[in-house]
Amino acid sequence: MKKRAEHFRTMEYIIFTAVTLAVLAGCICIGSVSIPLKDTVTVIRNAVTGTPQPEALAVSIILSVRLPRVLCVALSGAALALSGAAMQGLLKNPLADGSTLGVSSGASLGAVIAIAFGIRFPALPFAGTMIMAIVFAFLSLLMILGLSYKLDYSLSTNTIILIGVIYSMFVSSIMNVIIAFAGDKVKDITFWTLGSLQNSNYQNVLILTGAFAVCGSILFFRARELNAFAVGEDNARHVGVDVRRTKLIVLITVSVLIGVCVSIGGTISFVGLVTPHMVRMLVGPNHRRLLPASAFGGAVFLLLADLAARILLSPIELPIGVVTSLVGALVFIFIFYQTRKR
Amino acid sequence: MKHMKHVKHTQRKKRMVRTLSILCLLFFALLFTGCTSTDTAAETQDVPAQETAAETQDVPAQETAAGTQDVPDAVTVIDMMGRTITLEEPARRIVALTASDCEILYAIGAGDTLVGRGTYCDYPAEVLEVPAVESGANTNIEEIIALKPDVLLMSDMAQTEDQIAQLEAAGIQVVVSEAVDIEGVYYAIEMIGTLMGLEENAAAVIDSMKATFSDIAQRASGDGSETIYFEVSPLQYGLWTAGTHTFMDEIASMLGLTNCFADVNGWGEISEEQLLERNPDYIVTITMYFGEGPTPEEEILSRAGWENVTAVQNKAILNLQNNELSRPAPRLADGARMLFEFIYGE
Repeated sequence: MKKRAEHFRTMEYIIFTAVTLAVLAGCICIGSVSIPLKDTVTVIRNAVTGTPQPEALAVSIILSVRLPRVLCVALSGAALALSGAAMQGLLKNPLADGSTLGVSSGASLGAVIAIAFGIRFPALPFAGTMIMAIVFAFLSLLMILGLSYKLDYSLSTNTIILIGVIYSMFVSSIMNVIIAFAGDKVKDITFWTLGSLQNSNYQNVLILTGAFAVCGSILFFRARELNAFAVGEDNARHVGVDVRRTKLIVLITVSVLIGVCVSIGGTISFVGLVTPHMVRMLVGPNHRRLLPASAFGGAVFLLLADLAARILLSPIELPIGVVTSLVGALVFIFIFYQTRKR
Repeated sequence: MKHMKHVKHTQRKKRMVRTLSILCLLFFALLFTGCTSTDTAAETQDVPAQETAAETQDVPAQETAAGTQDVPDAVTVIDMMGRTITLEEPARRIVALTASDCEILYAIGAGDTLVGRGTYCDYPAEVLEVPAVESGANTNIEEIIALKPDVLLMSDMAQTEDQIAQLEAAGIQVVVSEAVDIEGVYYAIEMIGTLMGLEENAAAVIDSMKATFSDIAQRASGDGSETIYFEVSPLQYGLWTAGTHTFMDEIASMLGLTNCFADVNGWGEISEEQLLERNPDYIVTITMYFGEGPTPEEEILSRAGWENVTAVQNKAILNLQNNELSRPAPRLADGARMLFEFIYGE
């Protein structure tokens, strides 16, 4: 077998970026309302050059609806896949992911509490749900991992997954209790929990870009430590990794990423779980290659899932989580079966 | 060595089976949650109450007449699932699980007979003083039995045969009220009126509704060329609208308007792009306003990309936030009048 490079080479970066951009462009051109490719190009070119726009409908649809949404979807996909890959390495656990560990449920609980009790932070008027989602994502992660450590020091797959599933159920029952007391806001909460990327705007795009840039680079610079962790926590300690610090940093970073994503698009499961596995088959297990490749892969996967959600039943939209779960679960079982058979 | 290998192999196999089964469980759990959310939307559409209402519309009045000849105070009704229910005398203690049935009871002047209400009943304000019981999927039979009602009024959404049998064993008559169109609402009012021995009041409520509807339908000058969009959930949580087979749609066509999402059946999440393309002339939102931030109207006016929607340009947005158009109750007439005044002025 050909020896793989340690780094993600420039050529590979170019290929992955090109594929992602191609899918992104495709998703901007295709939608529930069909707009001729020529008009789409004109609208975007005019927007970039600042020339007055000709047709009003196409402008509204592309610049105000489709573009911000597609960008949010790509960034969420990248962030979720990246955090999935980092967690799988850190916990040496192929099933680790925001949704299986219950972190996403925790983040939604935070957001639901923020909606139900109208929690707002004076400095950041509309960030109430986001901050609560991040805080709860982190607390959930601490709680689940703490409990798992108590029960099973080796943090084996089954223990963590079981606790994650139990925690998700526990959280959903707490959410039901809150909904029972929320009175007037029941409807808001119910619609929120269904999750939607419909309200994506450029502010969301900025927030996601910021979170992804900061957290992404933090995780990327921990790739060597993650490689050590992937062999085992003791191994990491022996080769001189500050285990506790690295772990804390990675967990906080992952919580921020998942919290931001959940507060913007609701819980989207399976992206973080499946993408790193698919990507690993392409680029191998080295985190210095796996992390950037996962980010690209996640963006492409979620873009395609969102495209399906937008156009399959037009004018009706499917919740994106339904598409990712359906496709993701099947793909995952297939990958799992293939790797185990070998 | 060979033996070791074998053991290792079976262990691995076992582990794989275990992990796979966990995965399958996860998968089905997800599938299931996916289904339930779509189900609720579907449920409201498929209820065959329309037929029942149409078939049996004239029957109850006759039967009641026959019943009263035999036993003085006895009342008989056929509920909206086609079940015949006979009471020895008009009901005195009622538990109503749906908000619409509570509204009907108050409208016919039987609010004081209400001894329990579903959690979501909120109109008129007095109803909030009545003890609340869990409704829908969480219906708690014990809670209801403890209130010792003669009759339980509910919709046919979440209750099972077993639950109905349990209630009937406890001496509580279960009456199902499930209206999916305005004809059905008339039937429900008439049925509840008979049940309470208040037929005349019920008839008066129905007549007043009919008068309102025929009045506005006559005065409405629309010819179906103008379109209206009903916003059930704001953009923040994903746009949901009311399509055909909803009260909103029925009232829109009564006013000579076309629902711009008439190709959606019941309630559904719709694409923002489609809305911009369909370009409605009027927008009705039922989003609640909690007194902070922009009002629902302002929020719609400020949405990016909506500047060119006719309704936004004309500021033709109405907020009906007290369920006037979403509940099968007498207030549908109020909602219809508010919509009429909004569109045709005064």
